[in-house]
Order: sequence, then C-alpha cells, then structure tokens
Amino acid sequence: MGPWGFVFLAYGIVWVSLLLYLSVLWRRLRKAEAELSGLRSLRGSRIEDRW
Amino acid sequence: MADLKHNKGRGRKILGWLALLFILLGLYFGLVQAPPDAYQGNVQRIMYLHIPSILTAYFSFFIVFVGSCLYLWKREKRDDILAHAAAEIGVLFTGLTIVEGSIWGKPAWGVWWTWDARLTLTAILFLIFVGYLMLRSLIEDENRGAVCGAVLGIVGFLDIPLIHMSVYWWRTLHQPPSILRPDKLPWENIHPSMLLALSINFVAFLLLYFYFLSLRIRVGEMEEEVKRFKLYGGQ
Repeated sequence: MGPWGFVFLAYGIVWVSLLLYLSVLWRRLRKAEAELSGLRSLRGSRIEDRW
Repeated sequence: MADLKHNKGRGRKILGWLALLFILLGLYFGLVQAPPDAYQGNVQRIMYLHIPSILTAYFSFFIVFVGSCLYLWKREKRDDILAHAAAEIGVLFTGLTIVEGSIWGKPAWGVWWTWDARLTLTAILFLIFVGYLMLRSLIEDENRGAVCGAVLGIVGFLDIPLIHMSVYWWRTLHQPPSILRPDKLPWENIHPSMLLALSINFVAFLLLYFYFLSLRIRVGEMEEEVKRFKLYGGQ
C-alpha cells in the first residue's frame, strides 16, 4: 500500500466510525423519546379513567 | 421548561452544523492545503487525526474524572450521567487513536503494533474504560454501579499523566512531543500551514465531541426518566 492508501484507510475508518456512533446515538434518542411519550400518554389515559 | 428544552435543542443543532463546517475545513486543510512532511511524505497527514483524537480522549476522561468526583461528593444523578456519557465517548476516541496510530506505525516504523511504553499505557487506558462501561452495564443496583464506576473513572484518569510522561521516563519508539515542547513555542517546531491544519482539526474534534456529549447526556437523561416513570409512574 502507498502512503495515500494508509492515509485514506485511517481517514475512512475514523469518519465511518464517528458517523456510525452518531447514528447509534440518534437511534437511542428516538427510542427513549418514543418510550417516554408512550408512558406519558398511558399515564394521562389512566388519570382520565379515574375521573 | 419547554423554552429551556427548545433552546438546548437549538444550541445542539448549531453545535452540530459548526462541527460539520470545521470537519470539512479540517479535511481540506489536512489532505490538500498542508504540505507533505519532509521526511515521512504524505503519510504524516494521519497526524491531523491522531493528535486531535487523543487530546479529545484525554479531555473526555478529564470530564469523567470531574463528574465522578462530583458524584462521590454530592451523589447527584446528573454528575453520574455526565461521567458515564464522557466515558463512552472517550473510549470511542481512544480506540480510534490506537487504530490511527497503528496505521501510521506500519509505514513509519515498519510494524502495526509494538509493546512501547506509550502504546501499551494507551491500550491500558482503553481497557480500563471498556471495563468501566462493562461494570456499569453488569451491576444491577444502579447506585452501587454509579459508585463503583466513579471510583474506576477516577483511578483510570490517573493513567493519562503516565501516558504523557512515558516518552520522557522510558526509552520508547514513540517520539516525544514535537509541537508542545517545553523549550520552544509551537510555531517554532512546525510549518505554519501544518499548525493551521492541526488547529482546525482539533477544533473540529472538540466541537464534534461536545455535540456527541450533549446528545449522549440527553439520551442518559431520557433513559433515566423512563426508569423513573416505570418505578413511580412519573411522580
């Protein structure tokens, strides 16, 4: 492998890994948001039932 | 409260766009604008990733250290969330530093890996914080997990001064600092266009780090809220 091969290998691994981590964070955030809003709406409907 | 959340979300977005701008600038300056090194040629361009990523990792573990100390002192959940988030991102940047170093080591030293003091201590740092993340996920009692994690986070941070001083204390294949040297100013050791490329990449990594940290803290806060909801019905 030539010098540019090593450079692009390093840059490729770094930026692909950082993008993957970003997508994992976004997915975890969406999942937590969906779960929380589901729990909130469940709680709201229970309070309404009591009244 | 809703305003505060909205402002935080907007701030995070601005941070993300700023990080992207500096990443693109960093790629241009690192791969195009900066001249090749007189001895190593173009392979030295890996430096524009290697130094910013290890400095970002050190900074992240410093945040773990501060968050862990604060948690042990005040026992506030937000400090634990901060330390846990910073540890996860620090592991990512340390892992990347080791990979970049290995790729740089092959053309520069002729080997992908050697048991040099600095490399070994960096690998130990990585393993300590992988252990931290495993510990956090394995201990079911949350408070106990947070206390054990905080102790490990503080102990793990103490490896960083050892990594920094290793090139002075032992004979190593890894060179001593060539930019931040005690006897010279940074711009006396490196060509200005190389220093500019390195600085832009460092700012890009720091901005990206803060963007990741703010997202990861938000994830931690929401997961905590979900747990509270399940336990006490959102009281």
